Amino acid sequence: MLVAWRYRKRENSFIQSFDPRAWLIFYICVLFSTLSFWDVRFLLPFFFLAWFVLLTSGVKWHEIRRAFIFIIGFIFIFAFLTFLTGRGGTEVYEQEHLLKKLEASFTILGWRPALDITVERIFFGLAQFVRVFSLGILTVLIPYSLDPALYGITFRGLGLPDKIAYAMDLTMRFIPTFGRDFQLTMDAQKARGYELEKIQGGLFEQVRKLGPLMVPVTIHAIIGSEDIIDAMDLRAFGVGPRTWLQQLTYQKRDRILIGVGVAILIVTIVVSMFGLGQFWVPPALLALVS
Amino acid sequence: MSELALIVENLSFRYRDRQGAAIHNISFAANAGEILLIAGASGCGKTTLIRAINGLIPRSYKGELTGRVLIQGENTVEMKLSTISQKVGTVLQDPERQILGTKVLNEVAFGLENLGLPRQEIFQRVDEALAHLKIQHLRGRDTFLLSGGEKQKVALAGVLAMHPSILLLDEPLASLDPASAAETLDAVRALADEGMTVLMVEHRVEDVLRIRPERVLYMSEGQIRYLGDVKGLSQVVNYREVKLPAEDILERAKHDPAPAQIKVLPGAAASPSNYEALVKFENVAFGYEADKEVLHGINLEIRRGDVIAVLGPNGSGKTTFVKHAIGLLKPKSGRVLVNGKDTKESSVAEIANTLGYVFQSPSHMLFAPTVREELAFGPTNLKHPKDEIEKEVKEALRIVNLSDKEQDPPLALSFGQQKRVSIAAILAMRSRILVMDEPTAGQDYQNYMNFMDSILQLPGFEAILFITHDVDLAVIYANRVLLVADGQLMADGSPHETLRDFNRLQACRVIPSSLLSLNVKRFGETGRFMRAEALAHV
Repeated sequence: MLVAWRYRKRENSFIQSFDPRAWLIFYICVLFSTLSFWDVRFLLPFFFLAWFVLLTSGVKWHEIRRAFIFIIGFIFIFAFLTFLTGRGGTEVYEQEHLLKKLEASFTILGWRPALDITVERIFFGLAQFVRVFSLGILTVLIPYSLDPALYGITFRGLGLPDKIAYAMDLTMRFIPTFGRDFQLTMDAQKARGYELEKIQGGLFEQVRKLGPLMVPVTIHAIIGSEDIIDAMDLRAFGVGPRTWLQQLTYQKRDRILIGVGVAILIVTIVVSMFGLGQFWVPPALLALVS
Repeated sequence: MSELALIVENLSFRYRDRQGAAIHNISFAANAGEILLIAGASGCGKTTLIRAINGLIPRSYKGELTGRVLIQGENTVEMKLSTISQKVGTVLQDPERQILGTKVLNEVAFGLENLGLPRQEIFQRVDEALAHLKIQHLRGRDTFLLSGGEKQKVALAGVLAMHPSILLLDEPLASLDPASAAETLDAVRALADEGMTVLMVEHRVEDVLRIRPERVLYMSEGQIRYLGDVKGLSQVVNYREVKLPAEDILERAKHDPAPAQIKVLPGAAASPSNYEALVKFENVAFGYEADKEVLHGINLEIRRGDVIAVLGPNGSGKTTFVKHAIGLLKPKSGRVLVNGKDTKESSVAEIANTLGYVFQSPSHMLFAPTVREELAFGPTNLKHPKDEIEKEVKEALRIVNLSDKEQDPPLALSFGQQKRVSIAAILAMRSRILVMDEPTAGQDYQNYMNFMDSILQLPGFEAILFITHDVDLAVIYANRVLLVADGQLMADGSPHETLRDFNRLQACRVIPSSLLSLNVKRFGETGRFMRAEALAHV
């Protein structure tokens, strides 16, 4: 199956022991706090927090292996490219201290490739890796830990209107159907000699060649949506305030988690107001270079 | 005398963006505890009538509406949709699109949640509805993982939980295998016996007759052509338009000329070696998950001249089996040979030269802006020379009789024409074996019989294999039947050899039809299986 739910009830899972609303509030607080810092020393607690949540989530390595390797690989390449080019860093530092300059022994049309290894680039790349990794891990754990049947009531509980909250439920319901339709179309086109892996050409050409997949899937979704709307209308959707069958109740631990999340955010705001947590490199390293 | 639950008076409706009325001057009444079967060809107005009764017309579908619908004496135009939905429950054709909850519990509770009922009452009503249909064991299950029959019952439970007095069923059997269809029908009969009024739109008239509907309403061109008891129906309707029990067709067809013989697979007949194996399965086993096998030890050959019907219940492994033949799946053990070459060593594209697969719904494959481009897609992928492709496209269009549609967008054609385009797309690739999954799905009786007649006479193919739930298609068209159940090949042989043992059929959840029974009974006389019209002239 192309789309399969990653969620299952896991015993002794730290993340699953909380009300999903409490966890989402905590997650949002940590998200904004992490994004407020560029100082590796301030980011390390979030990095360790992400590891703690991952290791206590009850998610088995074989379940998360692919997603984990993809995230690590993506972030590493992203941070490494930033290190190589220095792009993005100039927004948080003004001066660079050169550790070593590497120059190629050849030229290309008169241009000699060179790489400036500076203290700032190393620490900017490191900060970027730690930031994105911490958030990536916390984000990727959500589909493994949040029961799809509770998405609607969770967002309703967070204050969204009935219709928007139910739209979340409906999305979760139809993702597997959409995945199945996509697989059917993929099989149908493969049986006509279509080979996705052999698509070549420029970006526009490649997008155009995805037409045999995207057009039928889209048309099918549009045709199907008429039935979905009928089915909702016929069972009185949207006529008034609805009862949500599942009930979520905050326990003491949920309130504590929300409190901790909010406290982290407040501390972050205060710390940021005092100008702390911005980009940092060890002064000793700078002295060494000077 | 029971009270009138539903009265429809002089009802006409024209959709806003269409010319001509979809239904015209419809009048009838239905009693409590009655099953009213609504029959008719595609486009006769059945679905529009259902929409007018359940209130979607004129609220969701705009247009000109005249006449009125009274539910327990109350005019629906003056009622809110939420009020109507508590009196009239509707089950749509495709349960996959009707089921809105991720879990069965949420799905059945959906309407009650929308009405804002207290949580305790919702739980109580959900449990009652599930118990009524004897599906309490599904309560905690994910809806996406249910079988077709289970989905249809869950959709029905979601409607019953709202306590309607009228139940509208719009082709509820379309996606079900015969055994699941029979279970659904039994549940519907039980509901009517308890006092519910049931209006059932269904092409599979013969199947519905088994649960003794009180009356039949037959529609054509938006109008009522017949309204009365079941007995009178076979005297009135065209037996080529609506599938009647074989005995009735036999009786009627005696007075008509004998049907013309169709020349099956003319392409295969011209071949010099009729018994050459085009595809060979050698002890093939497969499982989607490491520890769960869904296909066990399949051995068979597909030869020139074969017209093979694959019968079996949903989830029995039919589609998995066919996907092995076309190389979309590779066996976990054993091997599949196409033209003598192991599919593990061939790409799907290479295999497409031999086997062309037509999926159930043409909308899963049609994408091009013109029919010509749609047909050129396969041969281009297979790297046929450009001038050859031109010829192949023209030839394929001529064969399926769509030459005048070459420049039309395929998605703008009628469903039947789209089906023919999907067949032409395979013809244009010069595939030698045509493989079809539920070739008759989405078409009415007359259309699909004409469709099958024309497919079997196409000169381009050397063998045809089709998956079907319709035993009669196997009886009429196949010269070989594969019976699949639990991932195993339970029988492989001529229709008479495989289908005469009714106990075996029932063990494989295949329900014998009246046509099959008649053919088995008269086999000594005929020597082969045939359609009822032909039997009438033996």
